[in-house]
Amino acid sequence: MNIEAMSLQDFRGLLQQIGEGVAGVDMSDEERVKRAKKAFMQKLNGHRAVDLDSCLQCGMCAEACHFYEATQNEKYAPVYKYRLLRRFYRREMSPMRWFYRLFTPDIKAADLKEWQHLVYDTCTGCGRCDMICPMGIKISAGIRVVRHGLAAAGLVPPEMRIVRNEQRDENKLFGVGAEQLKALAAKLGEQGIDIPLDHEQADVMLLTTAVEILLFPDTFASSARILNKSSANWTMFSDAFEATNVGIITGDDPTMKLAIKRIVDKAEACGIKTVVMPESGHAYQTLRWEGATEMNEQLPFEILSMPEFISAEIKAGHLSLNAQSNGASVTYHDPCRLARKGGVMQQPRDVLAALGLDVRETPANRRENYCCGGGCGEYVLKDAADLRQKAFEIKKREFEDTGADTVVTGCANCRVNLLIGAENSGWQTPVTSFVETVAANLAD
Amino acid sequence: MTLLEFASGPGLQWALWIFVFGVVWRLIGALFLLSRKDLTKPREYNSMKAGLGAILSRSAPAHAFEKSIRFQHVTGYVWHFALFVSVLFFAPHILFFKSVLGFGWPHLPNTIILVTAITATAVLIALLIRRATHPVQRFISTVDDYISIFVVLIPLITGILAFAHFGARYETLLAIHLLSVEAMLIWFPFSKLMHAIMTMPARYQAGTAFGRRGVKA
Amino acid sequence: MRKDQTLGEFLRSQGVSRRGFLKYCSATASLMALPPSAVAQVAEALATARRPSVIWLSFQECTGCTESLTRSHAPTVESLIFDAISLDYHHTLQAAAGHGAEAAREAAMEENKGKYLLVVDGSIPAGNNGYSTIAGISNYDMLIDTAKDAFAIVAVGTCAAFGGLPQASPNPTGAVSVSDIITDKPIINVSGCPPIPVVITGVLAHFLTFGTIPALDALGRPAAFFGQNIHDRCYRRPFYERGEFAETFDDEGARKGWCLYKLGCKGPTTYNACATLKWNQGASFPIQSGHGCIGCSEPSFWDKGGFYDPISAGNWGSRDALLGAAAAGAALGVGSALAARARKRKAQAQEEA
Repeated sequence: MNIEAMSLQDFRGLLQQIGEGVAGVDMSDEERVKRAKKAFMQKLNGHRAVDLDSCLQCGMCAEACHFYEATQNEKYAPVYKYRLLRRFYRREMSPMRWFYRLFTPDIKAADLKEWQHLVYDTCTGCGRCDMICPMGIKISAGIRVVRHGLAAAGLVPPEMRIVRNEQRDENKLFGVGAEQLKALAAKLGEQGIDIPLDHEQADVMLLTTAVEILLFPDTFASSARILNKSSANWTMFSDAFEATNVGIITGDDPTMKLAIKRIVDKAEACGIKTVVMPESGHAYQTLRWEGATEMNEQLPFEILSMPEFISAEIKAGHLSLNAQSNGASVTYHDPCRLARKGGVMQQPRDVLAALGLDVRETPANRRENYCCGGGCGEYVLKDAADLRQKAFEIKKREFEDTGADTVVTGCANCRVNLLIGAENSGWQTPVTSFVETVAANLAD
Repeated sequence: MTLLEFASGPGLQWALWIFVFGVVWRLIGALFLLSRKDLTKPREYNSMKAGLGAILSRSAPAHAFEKSIRFQHVTGYVWHFALFVSVLFFAPHILFFKSVLGFGWPHLPNTIILVTAITATAVLIALLIRRATHPVQRFISTVDDYISIFVVLIPLITGILAFAHFGARYETLLAIHLLSVEAMLIWFPFSKLMHAIMTMPARYQAGTAFGRRGVKA
Repeated sequence: MRKDQTLGEFLRSQGVSRRGFLKYCSATASLMALPPSAVAQVAEALATARRPSVIWLSFQECTGCTESLTRSHAPTVESLIFDAISLDYHHTLQAAAGHGAEAAREAAMEENKGKYLLVVDGSIPAGNNGYSTIAGISNYDMLIDTAKDAFAIVAVGTCAAFGGLPQASPNPTGAVSVSDIITDKPIINVSGCPPIPVVITGVLAHFLTFGTIPALDALGRPAAFFGQNIHDRCYRRPFYERGEFAETFDDEGARKGWCLYKLGCKGPTTYNACATLKWNQGASFPIQSGHGCIGCSEPSFWDKGGFYDPISAGNWGSRDALLGAAAAGAALGVGSALAARARKRKAQAQEEA
């Protein structure tokens, strides 16, 4: 395939420019604290209450966090990242709040600013800490509430704010909108890959991401080829194709709802029965596991990740694969939000094995897998570049332990982050996409 | 009224009242907060099995984490086991529980209890030292954490002293032991010690939250 | 024995040999935990002892203490002691009655002003002086009156020492002990329900020998007899240590002579000489007979939980009260949650607005 893709170098340049010279949101300290507290109050619920009342202060969560492991900085212990929320909960919502108020310090603007770094730069919301906690506390969910508070207080880091504004106000991402999609579809059409745009009678709706369109058009093309070979009567809507949800990443609730709504409204309006997600961990987590609740209705369509879709089609006999005989070795990197937070772990492995590949497991895999460190778009944060690189060294160690020839992953953001890390450290092992691997071996 | 009469009479009475009152207050107060109903379609799973399964499985860390938390894992087990045996299987203690609950259970020989009590004390002191020296724990620990350790350590030590009749008149040792237990009972609902109760709902909800997504909590 | 005879003269006149007398003195000395060198002093003191006047007042008592004491163990030295004192007033033992008896008491008090020993058994009803009277005189008045010129007071039995049975809840007579009323005289509390006979005679022997009060513990009891708890001297202690208990009366453990802690034995918190001196000339004591110690030499032993409730069961009130505490906690928990929910709803409504 010969599609013009943006080079990694150019993309990194683009990232570097985002938010350049952009000032922080101007807000009085009082206003920040007021808004943060309101957001905390909105988001605290029974589940978080039980969590916050259960913490042992054992510090084991730090041992699960790749940022702590890479730096040994105790401030990066996940329990400390949600400490702000615990203080608020104790003072405002816990059953014994009248007692706790006597000696629990109130939230101050300085606290919010301190936590901005902790929550955005040193947390990708990967949920590995959730797995280790002996009390079963969903620590990442607590940190996410802190993020909501900071977002409400105007403390989303400038780079992310710009991207959020772009999605919210222009329905675009990194400059990619309907125009760019149509242009790519046309190019692919010229190469014999049909992209059925805006067909109102379709049953299956495919989504994609700006990162795919810009950096990995091969992945996009592969998805189209797979769907074309399958039984699906599918389409893609040029005004509702973006699966990326900047709202969930920044902690901006209204934007999160808006991005979901665009997809759901379109799918419902056109009688879609199945939405197929692109390779993006957070996009899957958001739509599949939060969409219905955000829209306050049970959705009339099912949502499948590509591995699930492919697996189902193979089982139903609509897709068949050419098994390779050379038994090349691969290792599969589980995207946190697809695997640990999404439940899609076995299908990619089964499909890769069915392709005749020697699938090797990293020491930490599946629900215990280490996060790539990129946090589904947090790679825009310039201040955290050093941290992410340190976290990458952990992934490199894990991959090298398997001795595999190639790293396969199911999330474009993971892929970008791993490629950036590899480039920075001169690591040669290729990082490729699951969908592309499948598409390259479709039987006719 | 002698010290022992106070400690086994009104002192114990008040401590038990405050304990029961506080535990129920805090537990119900947290459980009664609402959460938005999750309207997404769950994968095939049995929610009770997932919840109860998590209560069991979270006692043992997942494979990949074992090496980094082995010290806490092992000492945690030894500490809790030794404590439970000392508290629950010492004949005089069982007689107390019987007076509260209406039923008792068989006891273990006193020598075994002495061994477990000393083990529990030693391990708790080791954990106290770790909390004060390990970078992460030292950083995140609050006054609550330290008081919670002492408030459990003192009953252990005074219990051993009373059992051994060592240090003062027996009534005095017994009274101090009872008073220290009463202090612990009063401290319990307002502090980290509440984790003994909260383990159940916290792990259960982790089990169901992950279970519905098809992930083993 | 004539009033002006010394004890030594009396004994000789009764045919007690010097050897027999010295045997008694060494027994008494060892009973009081005195060194062998004190025997000579005891002998000297007793030989030249003049019979001191003793006035015995019985108030709200069951006469068990007198029974215990005067149950002659044998025609042996205890009864000699009773010939060694001039028991000038004792309800149960005296021949006189009515005004004659009271007159004898008053005469003895006058004749021996400042030198007589006052022995009291039974508690005093402070709730209403009319509850217990002798010859129309209330216990309270008689005690105040008689104690005034006494040298010292021996409060025999737990009733006189601490209030005893009459004081047990609900204490209808307002019973109090001797030391609750008399505060300006030395008082020796010889507690027990009843006390061991030789404990009494040991105290009297000390008094006769040295003319002083023996060393007392914090509750005013002679430390020689009340300084150790039953538990520390109990022959069943190894079973306690090992955790071998009788579960019910006459079960296998009981028959094997195992520890009686589970059956309510109060040995660990009771101070008396039962486990060493025992009763009936060392025949046995309650634990040896298979019944737990009821702690009868301790204050308020009637109200320290039941005799068959183990020490560790405590006295913590009722289960209903605990259920009440749980209900109160639940109410507060629900209330606090509802209040928090309302605040959250308000915050969310503001967002929509």
